[in-house]
Amino acid sequence: MADRLNSLRLLLVDDEAAFRAVLVKRMRRQGIDPFQAADGAGGLRILSRQPVDVVVLDVRMPGMDGIDTLREIKRRHPHTEVILLTGHANTREGLEGIQAGAFDYLSKPVDIDHLWEKIKQAFEKKAVLEALRQDSQYRLHMAQQMAASERLAALGTLAAGVAHEINNPLAIINEAAGYLGTLLQKPELEDVPYREGMVNAVGKIATGVARARTITHQLLGGVRPDSPGLARVRPDELVDETLALVRAEAEDKGIAVARQSPPMAAVWIEADRLRQVLINLLVNAIHATQRGGRIVVGIEAGDGRLRFSVADSGKGIPGENLERIFEPFFSDQPPGEGTGLGLFVTRQIVDRMGGTITVRSQVGRGTTMTVAVPHRCGDPGAARGPGAPVCGQEARP
Amino acid sequence: MSALPIRILLVDDERDFVEMLSLRLAERGEHVMTAFSGRECLEILSREAVDVVILDIRMPGMDGIETLRRIKQAHPRVEVILLTGHGTTQTAMEGVRLGALDYFLKPADFEDLTARLERLRRTADA
Repeated sequence: MADRLNSLRLLLVDDEAAFRAVLVKRMRRQGIDPFQAADGAGGLRILSRQPVDVVVLDVRMPGMDGIDTLREIKRRHPHTEVILLTGHANTREGLEGIQAGAFDYLSKPVDIDHLWEKIKQAFEKKAVLEALRQDSQYRLHMAQQMAASERLAALGTLAAGVAHEINNPLAIINEAAGYLGTLLQKPELEDVPYREGMVNAVGKIATGVARARTITHQLLGGVRPDSPGLARVRPDELVDETLALVRAEAEDKGIAVARQSPPMAAVWIEADRLRQVLINLLVNAIHATQRGGRIVVGIEAGDGRLRFSVADSGKGIPGENLERIFEPFFSDQPPGEGTGLGLFVTRQIVDRMGGTITVRSQVGRGTTMTVAVPHRCGDPGAARGPGAPVCGQEARP
Repeated sequence: MSALPIRILLVDDERDFVEMLSLRLAERGEHVMTAFSGRECLEILSREAVDVVILDIRMPGMDGIETLRRIKQAHPRVEVILLTGHGTTQTAMEGVRLGALDYFLKPADFEDLTARLERLRRTADA
């Protein structure tokens, strides 16, 4: 409590300069330098400029009266505690003050020690309330997060099940349309009426199947069996390779893409999955960014994790959508462009890697998606000795 | 078609799928046989010469993985291409470990499938 008292921000509102001087002198001995105001309006001005923990407020002042000032303080700064100084033996003023939200009241003339005790109590109450508020906010936040991730997991299971069931009939449509297409190419059917229309229609079926297939395969994770698990790669090189894959698309749209990180030593990491994640994030960033924009991929290492950030200068995501972007089929793109599955699948891949994905966004300024994934260091022998690269850290030549 | 036809056995409990894909493959000049269960597949293999089995993993009764295991035991020279509507890497990896040649997710791209068959034909010719 003693060192916390040093941080007590106190405001003294009283028209009697002599009284203020006595109190200020006493407070300075405690290491506290109170703000001072001679009337209610002055006190409110100070409060509007900086946060204050406790206000000592005289009731009888020229101008705005103490009770009105108190009401205004509690309205604008509900977490600030106020101690009222009332006229001698005037319990009516005190009562009115308590009703208006004062912490307590003391009648003048006040005993300075007594007042100091009250100030400490008010400060303590504020600290306790603050801690409770933060705790309940934290618990609410955690509960929301858990509910969201459970919901996503359930949706994921359902979506994969549906995708699987759809794939079988889709395969029948695919082969039937393909067979029709083959038949229409036969010389015997060259002069059949409406042949061109039929060829066109069969083509449309094939395109539709391909579109549906993109969705079902994405939902199933679409991971090929030949994708290796862990690989020893340099994170900076992995990012550069991935950027090379999307650079053409970005440059067509007049968007600059770059990596911002020092050269890094090789680590063991799930390279294929990570590449897939980065591509998904980069494709999203390119879609969200206008001509002349910029996309930067950053890498940071620490605590056995690598953090990859993809920051764009695009249109940003409105707050009400931030919670929903990881849901399947949520998309801000027109139908046919973007399946609404990119971030849903990305999040599932990141989950499988034991990583986390977070988003920060400001409408009109851009979005930063950050993926943190665990990694293992390479050959420990090679990582020792002077000048050896530190695992996941900057490589020293 | 000048190349020798590949003798394919197509196995899936989805009859419409088997019918359509076999017609397509036959149009390319391949020799296609069909079966609708793992048991029927093994029965055909015991009396017919087959180059490659295209095998669905999820089937009622004997599933594709068990069928694959028995094919590899009884007819080690018969190649197997797995086909499934399910995207689990684990099943696919298990299949490849058991000796499957490749793995396609339904609906498979016909060009991908025939490209795989072409490669098989070339290795068989060599």
